[in-house]
Amino acid sequence: MQPIVHIDHVSFSYGSAEGAEAEVPLALDDVSLAIEPGAFVGVIGPSGAGKSTLASVMSGAIPHHYAGRLFGATYVDGRDTCDVTLTDISQIVGSVLQDIDAQMVASVVEDELLFGLENFGVPHDQIETRITETLATIGISDLRDREIATLSGGQKQKVAIAAILALRPRMLVLDEPTAALDPASARMVFETLRTVNHTLGVTVVVIEQMVALLSEFCERIVVMDEGRIALDGTPREVFSHSAELRAIGVDSPRTARVSNSLMAKGVAPHGAPCLTVADAYELVSSVVGRARLGRLAGFDAQAEEKSASYGAHLAPSSRSAFGAPDDELAVFATAAAMATDRLTFAAHGAWSRDAARAAFEEELNAPRGRHEDQGIQSVVPVVEFNHVGFAYPGGAAVEDLCFAVHPGEIFALIGQNGAGKTTATKLLNGLLQPTEGRVAIAGLDTRDTPVSTIARHAATLFQNPDRQLCKNTVLDEVAFGLELQGVGGDEARDRARTVIERFGLPEEAAPFSLSRGQRQMVALASVVVLEPEVIVLDEPTSGLDYRECMTVMETVSEMAARGSAVVMVCHDMEVVSDFADRAAVMADGRIVGCGPVGEIFRNPVYMERASVAPPQIVALSEQLARGVSADFAGIGEVSALVDTVVEMVTGGSEARAHA
Amino acid sequence: MLNVIDYVPGTTLLHKLNPVTKLALAAAIIAATLLVSGFPALIGLLVLTLALAAYAGVADRMLSLLKVLVPVALIMFVLQIAFTRAGNPVLGFVTDQGLVTGGKACLRLLGVALPLVLMLMVTKTTDLANACVEKLHIPYKYAFTFTTALRFVPVFSQEMNAIMEAQTARGVEFDTKNPLKRLTLMLPVCIPLLVTSVAKTDATALAAEQRGFYLRTRESSFKRYPFTALDAGAFALCAVLIVLGVLL
Repeated sequence: MQPIVHIDHVSFSYGSAEGAEAEVPLALDDVSLAIEPGAFVGVIGPSGAGKSTLASVMSGAIPHHYAGRLFGATYVDGRDTCDVTLTDISQIVGSVLQDIDAQMVASVVEDELLFGLENFGVPHDQIETRITETLATIGISDLRDREIATLSGGQKQKVAIAAILALRPRMLVLDEPTAALDPASARMVFETLRTVNHTLGVTVVVIEQMVALLSEFCERIVVMDEGRIALDGTPREVFSHSAELRAIGVDSPRTARVSNSLMAKGVAPHGAPCLTVADAYELVSSVVGRARLGRLAGFDAQAEEKSASYGAHLAPSSRSAFGAPDDELAVFATAAAMATDRLTFAAHGAWSRDAARAAFEEELNAPRGRHEDQGIQSVVPVVEFNHVGFAYPGGAAVEDLCFAVHPGEIFALIGQNGAGKTTATKLLNGLLQPTEGRVAIAGLDTRDTPVSTIARHAATLFQNPDRQLCKNTVLDEVAFGLELQGVGGDEARDRARTVIERFGLPEEAAPFSLSRGQRQMVALASVVVLEPEVIVLDEPTSGLDYRECMTVMETVSEMAARGSAVVMVCHDMEVVSDFADRAAVMADGRIVGCGPVGEIFRNPVYMERASVAPPQIVALSEQLARGVSADFAGIGEVSALVDTVVEMVTGGSEARAHA
Repeated sequence: MLNVIDYVPGTTLLHKLNPVTKLALAAAIIAATLLVSGFPALIGLLVLTLALAAYAGVADRMLSLLKVLVPVALIMFVLQIAFTRAGNPVLGFVTDQGLVTGGKACLRLLGVALPLVLMLMVTKTTDLANACVEKLHIPYKYAFTFTTALRFVPVFSQEMNAIMEAQTARGVEFDTKNPLKRLTLMLPVCIPLLVTSVAKTDATALAAEQRGFYLRTRESSFKRYPFTALDAGAFALCAVLIVLGVLL
């Protein structure tokens, strides 16, 4: 079958065609790729890897819209994209841009669909059926007469897809369609894409950062790194290369990490990685089951052989406990991160495994006890929400919010878009003032204190760093916050320089000339330099790649360890589970549940109210605790789960040896 | 967030008029406002606009717009009084002629702004663009530019709000009472806004081209905008308004 898109040794660099060829790095570097009709392909990679450029090459925006130097050839449906117009290409390849607000042309959903249909000269007697059918396929028939401005993010994304799909393209290219969505909406968008792919046979190429979604929905995953294709294959093939992925800076599904780790330790037989919780459950229960069987069988010869092999593998696993890069730890080592809790754990790795296990149990019994030595409970909370209520003139409101955050604690707010999480953060930093109840930040009532004064105690990192940046150089930018607090110019610059150096940012560069991830780092640096008592994070990791996301979160944990209280709104449950101490679930403007992260994730009622799926590891350990062994209860991290399995298997064989 | 120029759905006669007719009606009211010279006529035209707004069910939006416009009109009034030296002094530097010209300038400002806004409130921008292309033979390129500009007003004002919030949260004193200080603080905020808007405009151009923008002709529009008897009546009203404007 002829591929619908065939990219043949394409290289591309942005910028003017003349001169400076050596200075401009290649956005794409000799990429060859063929997409078969009807495929569902996911593209992933760290930021700056060339994912969006690849999408532009497929959609014809390169060479027709963006200027630059292009080598090689791209064939869409057999025709060279350089020889046909962008309009012709877009009748075959429909693309949904990253910024859907910029893509929309109309104020009403129906008109949005009409625009393309009218332009491409679809006969007017067919237009009505096209609109009805497309809306029905996407499942948004009820939105037909709605104003686009009143739609939620997920609905808007569906309208954007519908507007392209109505043109009946043979292929859809989407650039991070779920970046601004909550997990439930993100899933819905992918389900929509699957429907389109299955029922209409439309080829789908989607750039996405959420590995769990990619591995579940895509048939093929392309991993990009530095303008090249690093890996290309089925999700199972791609995620079995966890070491390469880690080096590139791409996350793997947590279940794949568990299975890869178990295979590397020789506990599980080599095979494809587990992509779903069910797969992983199967694997772990069979491994543990076999070990138990071996123990029961006593001196059975087969078990003898097996125990010998476990014994042989015990050495590498204990070696990893003594600081060699283990699955989890290596990520942070490669991320070249600062000293963090986790690296401290790497140091703790030098303890015996039993001690580490005991430490884990202790940690789980206490509400994430890592800050316990600071005695959270005795310290006065720095953020206090006391029966806080607020209503927008439009009608949306939050009611009766009650929580307190102590110094050194990371507190997460989770829930669907529109649940009131952002409103809560705005109440916190004083941008909104409560109509009921009281918000106190470091003892200051937000109703009596100007926002600029609250800013001295609470620093906010916004989802979009571009709204925060306003200076000409990185140094000015980072020093600006300090200057606003009345720190003298020279001292402010000195402190700013120290932080900039630690982040490895270019001091004299203009913030807006940096990449998205680096701009977020600049924004983060200007928060860190303030050494605030409270840090507010609104979606700190959206739009960042895995490595950047880790750097941001590690920095935040480090700030927490130094005594800052952190309040974060986050849609990525893996991040919440890895870094937060406590979480509150919000739904319909209320807090429906609040407690240690582990407890929240293990409570199905809360998960349903928040419309989120628990992180894979929590789900897996819960299932294992119910079906295999109570020892799995409460585990929230890959390394702990792997250790437990190893201990069960090897512990079993040791017990048998003693007998 | 609702915006004053957003379309308000409705089924009144005003909504049902052809977009071009609505444009003509607004233009006629504006022309009349500029032509008439007496206070009663000026006030009459304003009342007409407000009555039409009330009929179309957008009175509340119109009033919230007035809250913004009236202070501007008052500034204009004060300036006129200060600069008009002719006439007899009434109080201090204020002359009777100053009061008259100031009052008229003030009413004209409102009389010019309100009909246009009212027209936008009762017309979908896509309809306006399509009807102008069909009836007035305006090239679609310009109609699209116009509607896109209108569509970006709320998008940019939201962006501006978000930037101001972000800067306030950083400690920039936007909450200061001093308007001059506020203005100087606003300037740096324009940089991020400019950067975002350039990126957005580029993305819009690309998205439009990928949806066949360059193929569009006058016949492309699915909806047709024929003139009806209702429109004829409205055009007659326009003529009457302009004639009255010349006479009064």
